[in-house]
Amino acid sequence: MDVEPTGSLIALLRQAVLDGQAPAAAAATERALAAGIPPRTLVDDALIPAMDEAGRLFEGGEYFVPELLIAARALKASQALITPLLAGSAVTAAGRVAIGTVKGDMHDIGKNLVVALLQGGGFDVIDLGADVPPERFVAAVRDDRADIIGLSALLTTTMLQMKATVQALAQAGVRDSVKVMVGGAPVTQRFADEIGADGFADNAAAAVVLARRLMGRPA
Amino acid sequence: MTSRERVRTAMRRRQPDRPPFDLSFGFSTAQLERFRARTGADDPYDYFETDTRMVWPGPTRLATDYSRYLGPLPPGTVVDEWGLAHVPTSSAEGDHAHLEGFRHPMRGLASAADAAGYPLPDIDADYRYEPVRAEIADIHRRGLAAMAMLECTVFERAWYLRSMERLLLDFTDGSAFATTLLDRITERRVGQAQHYARCGADVIAYGDDVGTQRGMLMSVRMWRTWLKPRLARTIAAARDVSPDVLVFYHSDGDVTAIIPDLIEIGVDILNPVQPECMDPAALKRAYGDRLSFWGTIGTQSTFPFGSPDDVRREVRTRIDTVGAGGGLFLAPTHVIEPEVPFENIVAFVETVKGAGR
Repeated sequence: MDVEPTGSLIALLRQAVLDGQAPAAAAATERALAAGIPPRTLVDDALIPAMDEAGRLFEGGEYFVPELLIAARALKASQALITPLLAGSAVTAAGRVAIGTVKGDMHDIGKNLVVALLQGGGFDVIDLGADVPPERFVAAVRDDRADIIGLSALLTTTMLQMKATVQALAQAGVRDSVKVMVGGAPVTQRFADEIGADGFADNAAAAVVLARRLMGRPA
Repeated sequence: MTSRERVRTAMRRRQPDRPPFDLSFGFSTAQLERFRARTGADDPYDYFETDTRMVWPGPTRLATDYSRYLGPLPPGTVVDEWGLAHVPTSSAEGDHAHLEGFRHPMRGLASAADAAGYPLPDIDADYRYEPVRAEIADIHRRGLAAMAMLECTVFERAWYLRSMERLLLDFTDGSAFATTLLDRITERRVGQAQHYARCGADVIAYGDDVGTQRGMLMSVRMWRTWLKPRLARTIAAARDVSPDVLVFYHSDGDVTAIIPDLIEIGVDILNPVQPECMDPAALKRAYGDRLSFWGTIGTQSTFPFGSPDDVRREVRTRIDTVGAGGGLFLAPTHVIEPEVPFENIVAFVETVKGAGR
């Protein structure tokens, strides 16, 4: 019997996700599970490092949007096999993030990249979509117990809805139980400070680092 | 100097009396209403005496039914002649193009045969350019420059139909679907560009957003594989008809990485040179002998958030650092969004016009 070492199977999966090879990622996952590697180990040692590396390459200008999209597709192919095995286990996610593009704004490509990298980074992500009214974010904190709210906007016009959303969280009495992070082309650290957000990230990879920091974990 | 002479002189990188200007792609609905209430005038381009006027093909006679591609649509949705559904948002700021969503008709299609069978509009049909010819003649009679709009030339039109994520995955997978779709759109755009050139357009405004504010949306290699040859074909088609037509290329974001390629395929003018992520003065130093710059006044920064003095300062800085020897056309970098103070628009126009005195 040909027994592959655990390390090489994990490396294979990591590389398949990083390269955006969905069929190879699914095949590597099946082989790793058949070899008895715990699903949680595959998440921690293959999937999360692969998407972190994809994010770093994106930040460094080596990866572009298409490379992130195929990495996310390969991630999903692996997760489809792993996630059912994790259900009911005591393992907790890195944190729960409810994220959306703010009211009036339909631009969701940047937000979708953040979703993909957060999921890749082990976060439990509630994707609220685009044109999301402040009350929906409030409900995500109150009913879905989100740890972090992520707000995205592309336009200077709709960016002002971020302020309205932070205010709505305060009025609903849930502002202190959640962290708010903001991003999008017109958004700056100064604007984030002005509206009382807890953090700003200027790209999708930096958003994952920020979310970990807001959860009190090392980046 | 007439406006038309000013535009042609400056964009050929010779010194005009003052830089030409316009108001970019227009006002958002809320801004237009405010303009009309403030001035009593109807048309901001006439009121502010901009140097160019835009033209588009005349209306289509086709009435293609795209419902089988789109399914049920929310109330208020408008389906355009390409089959793209424009879905209203909850924004209270009026109904301009940046505040609407898309429903992509080709998102669910799979095969190259599906891409070949999708009904495209007759955007290149002869009859649609009869009104264009008349409009351009009228624009010229008024001493203005005619700018023929070929926006969303290939890539953006393709992703509007397919969805950006699906199209980029198609590129990555090297799919025949993407090849077929892009070739069919390019074919229509070739015809459209030739019509515009025959009608006497001074400027043809091509455009595909391929930049983000942190650099290219896709790798230069992917852009060269999928988009550069097709853009080159549509430019060459216009030049075959009118060798001296000015080729304007629009991409938001930072597209510094492809500037040499754009020059190589015949682009004369880069727009909008977003100052939030590109340095107009540095680009002038690097490419100012081969490329003109149109835009450069930030609608993401100075126009909405600056004072009238900030606007004046930015205009003067641009004239000092980019305007020498021509090659500068001043304009807001995009649509004037609802939150831009009216005083900032006035300050922009007055400063540009004052520069000639």
